[in-house]
Amino acid sequence: MVQCPSCARPSEPRLTCLECGSPLGAELDCFAALDLPRTLALDPRELERIYHEAGRRVHPDRFATGTPAVRQASLKSTALLTRSYRTLRDPVSRGRYWLELMGEKLAENNKGVAPELAELVFDVQEQLGELRETQNGSANVLAAAVKERRGELEELVARTQEELERNFARWDGRAGERQELVSGLKSALSKIAYLRTLTRDIDRALESVTAH
Amino acid sequence: MSRIFGIDLGTTNSLIAVMEGERPQIIADPQTGNPLLPSVVAIAPQGEVFVGERAIAMEPHLTAERNGRIHAIGFEGGEAGAVVRSAKRYMGLGGDEVATEDRHRYSFADFAGPVVRFAVGNRTYTPSQISAEILRALKARAEDALSEKVERVVVTVPAYFNDGQRQATKDAGRLAGLDVVRLVNEPTAASLAYGLHQMAEGRVAVYDLGGGTFDISILNIKGGIFEVLATNGDTHLGGDDFDRLLVDLLLEDLPDQMRLDRHVWNSARLAAEAAKKQLSDHDEAEMTLRLPDREVRKSISRAEFERMADALVSRSLERCRMALADAQLAPADVDAVVLVGGSTRMPLVRRRVAELFGREPLCSLDPDQVVALGAAVQAGVLMGSTGSRGDILLLDVVPLSLGIETMGGVMERLIHRNTTIPTSVAEGFTTAVDNQTHVDIHVVQGERELAGDCRSLARFKLGPIELQPAGVPRIEVTFLIDANGILNVTARDQRTGREHSVDIKPSYGLTDEEIERMLEESIDLGEQDLEQRMLIGARNDAAQMLGALAKQLGEYGSLIQADERGRIEECVSRLEAARNGTDRAYISALVEELNQLTTPFAERIMDYAISRALEKKSVEELS
Repeated sequence: MVQCPSCARPSEPRLTCLECGSPLGAELDCFAALDLPRTLALDPRELERIYHEAGRRVHPDRFATGTPAVRQASLKSTALLTRSYRTLRDPVSRGRYWLELMGEKLAENNKGVAPELAELVFDVQEQLGELRETQNGSANVLAAAVKERRGELEELVARTQEELERNFARWDGRAGERQELVSGLKSALSKIAYLRTLTRDIDRALESVTAH
Repeated sequence: MSRIFGIDLGTTNSLIAVMEGERPQIIADPQTGNPLLPSVVAIAPQGEVFVGERAIAMEPHLTAERNGRIHAIGFEGGEAGAVVRSAKRYMGLGGDEVATEDRHRYSFADFAGPVVRFAVGNRTYTPSQISAEILRALKARAEDALSEKVERVVVTVPAYFNDGQRQATKDAGRLAGLDVVRLVNEPTAASLAYGLHQMAEGRVAVYDLGGGTFDISILNIKGGIFEVLATNGDTHLGGDDFDRLLVDLLLEDLPDQMRLDRHVWNSARLAAEAAKKQLSDHDEAEMTLRLPDREVRKSISRAEFERMADALVSRSLERCRMALADAQLAPADVDAVVLVGGSTRMPLVRRRVAELFGREPLCSLDPDQVVALGAAVQAGVLMGSTGSRGDILLLDVVPLSLGIETMGGVMERLIHRNTTIPTSVAEGFTTAVDNQTHVDIHVVQGERELAGDCRSLARFKLGPIELQPAGVPRIEVTFLIDANGILNVTARDQRTGREHSVDIKPSYGLTDEEIERMLEESIDLGEQDLEQRMLIGARNDAAQMLGALAKQLGEYGSLIQADERGRIEECVSRLEAARNGTDRAYISALVEELNQLTTPFAERIMDYAISRALEKKSVEELS
C-alpha cells in the first residue's frame, strides 16, 4: 500500500488515487501504469489515447502550484507513464519487456546471426568494407548502392515486425503453450534487433563518407 | 496568490506577457509603449545598472561632435564600465568555451573557470547576473503597468539549450527574486500561441531563428495536446552571425588593431544591423562608418548579402533535416511551417524554408512577440486558468542524449535525445574492488560516442558505501529529467532501501552557495522598489489633480457654490499636507475623494463649454 500525497488516504499502488485523483508516484510495471492487461497485442491508437488521457491527469503542469510532495509524485508518475508508453508503443521493445516480466531474458548470445540472415549480413558487411576503403569518386556509386540496400533492409524489418505483431494475437490467445511462445518471440526479436543493428552500421558508414 | 507571467528572455530583445481573460497580452513599457526590452545591460564604473534603451546609449561607439570631429564614447569595459548585449550567448558556458571571435568583445575575468565572468573594475558579473538585471527590468515594467506584483514566472529557453544553459536561466530568475515555475522551449511556446490563435491541428514545424540561437521543433498537435516529436538546433546561430558577415565586410580594409577596437566594432555592428534590416525590403543598402581620419562606405546588394548568408541558412536547414529524420517524417509530411524570431524576416530565410518543406511558411503572429505570447499561455495552463482551452497539455522532449562515462571513456546513453519529458531511468551501480567506499559517476550530455567529446554535465560520488566485497553493494541511481529539461539525480541502496545522498558537482555554472552569496550581496530591493514606484505614481496623480483643479477654480470660479467650494478646499488642504508623506494608500484615497467631490463641478464646466460652443456656432451661422 502507498499513501496518497494529496489526501493522505492509503491506496493500492496505481497511477492515481481512486479517492482524489492525484498522482500517487507509485512504482508500477509498464502495463499497470497504463492500466492494461499484460497482453502482447495492443492497438497503437488505443494505447495513445490511454497515454494522453492519463497524461492529462498526472502531468506536472496540473500541479505546478501544489505542495512539494504532490509535485514530486506528479513528476514520478509522469516519468513512469512516459517510459511505459514508450516501452509498449514499439512492438519490439514491448516484446522484450514482456519477456522480462515473464522472467525470461533475450540472452546476449542470441545476438548471433540467424541462419536465414547469414548471406545478407555477409553481403552488407562486404559492401560497407568497400565503401570505407574507397576515397575517390566511385564512393558515390558505392554509397548509392548501400543506400539502396538500406531500403531493402528496412522493408525486411517492417515485414518481420508485421509478422511478429500477427503472432502477438495468436500467442495471447494460447498463453498455455509457454515454451513455443517464448522461443518464437525470442527468435523474432533477435532477428529484428540484428537487422536494426545492421541498418545503424550502414548509417554510420554513410555518415563518415559524407563527412569526408 | 499572484498570477504567473510569461517571459521571453531573448538574445536581442526580451518581453513579458500575461493572460488577460482567454488571450495572452504583451505588457509594453508604460512610458514608451515599446513591447520589446532590448536585452542590453550597462554597468557603470561604480556599479549602477541600466537596462534596455538606456544601456544601448552607453555602448562604446563613435559619434560626431557639433564641430564634426569624431570621437569615442561609451563604457568600453574593464575600469570604464561595461555594456553587455547578447548575454544569452554566454549562458551556462565555462570560461574556456567563449568563442575565439568573441574574446575581444568584452573584458572577461578569465578564460578558465566553470563560468564566464565579465569584468567591470574589480568586480565580475556572470551571464546569469546580467540576465537577472533584464528579468528585474521586465518585472518592474509589468508591476508599473499593472500595479500588481510579479513573483512567479514562466521563462522561455531555446529548445536546444543543454542542462547547464537551462540551469543558468533558472539561476538568473532566482537572482532576480523570481520564482521560475517552469522553463518552456521557445518553439513550443510559439506553437502554443499559434495553436490558440488558429486552432491549428496536425504536424507543425516551428522554425525559430532568433538573435543568437536557432531551433527547429516538429510537433503533433491534436485535441489540445501539443506533442513535440523531435527538436534540433544550434545555440550559436542567429541574427548576430548575419550582422557579423556585414561587419567583416565593412571593416575588411582596416588594420587589425582598429577592427578590434570596441568603439569601431560596435559602430560597425550598428551600421551592419541597419543594413541587414534594410535588405529585407530593399535591393540595396549602404553602410557608413565615420572614423576620426576617414569615412568607410560599403554598399551591398541583396543578392550579394544572400550569397554571403547562404551558408548560415544552410546550417539551419541541415538541422531541420536532422529533426525530420528523428521524427521519422519527410518534409512533405508536415502540415504547417511556422516562422518565429526576428531573423525570419530575411527573404532568403523564408525562401529556403519554403523550398525545404515545399510550402509557404506561416507568420501571421509577430515573430518577435509570439514566444512571449506562448509563455503567457503556458503560465495560464500552470495556473489552471486557460478558460475554454483548459485542456492544453504540453509534451516536450529532451534535446540532447544524456549518459554516463563508462570504462574506457565510452558514453553509455541512458536517455536518448527527443525522449518525452519528464522521464526517468534507473541504473544499477556496484563496487569494483573490496571495501570500496565511494563510486564516482560522471554524467555527460551529447550525441558523440566518447564521453570526452560530449559536454560534461556533472560529477558525483555515491557513498559512503558499507564495507563489502567487490560487486556486492547494489545502488540504484535514478536519473530524472523534469518538465524543465533539467536533470535530477537520486540514489538508493537496493539492499537496505535507504536513500543515498548525492552530492553533485556541476561541471559548469554556479553552485548553490555561490548563488546564495550573490543574492545576499545584491541587496534585494525588489519589494521596496515596487512600493517606492507606486508612491511616486500616487504623488504624481495628486500633483496632476491639484494642478488641474487650481486652474479650473481660477477660470470657472463662477460655476461653483460656496459650500461646495468649502468642501473641496478642505479636501485639497488635506491632500496638500499628505502628498509629500509616504502613506501611498492615504494619498490615493484622497485623490479619489477629491475626484468624486469635483465631479459635479467638472460636469458643469463641460456643460458650460458645450453651450458656449453652441452659442458661438449659432452666432457664426447667423452672420
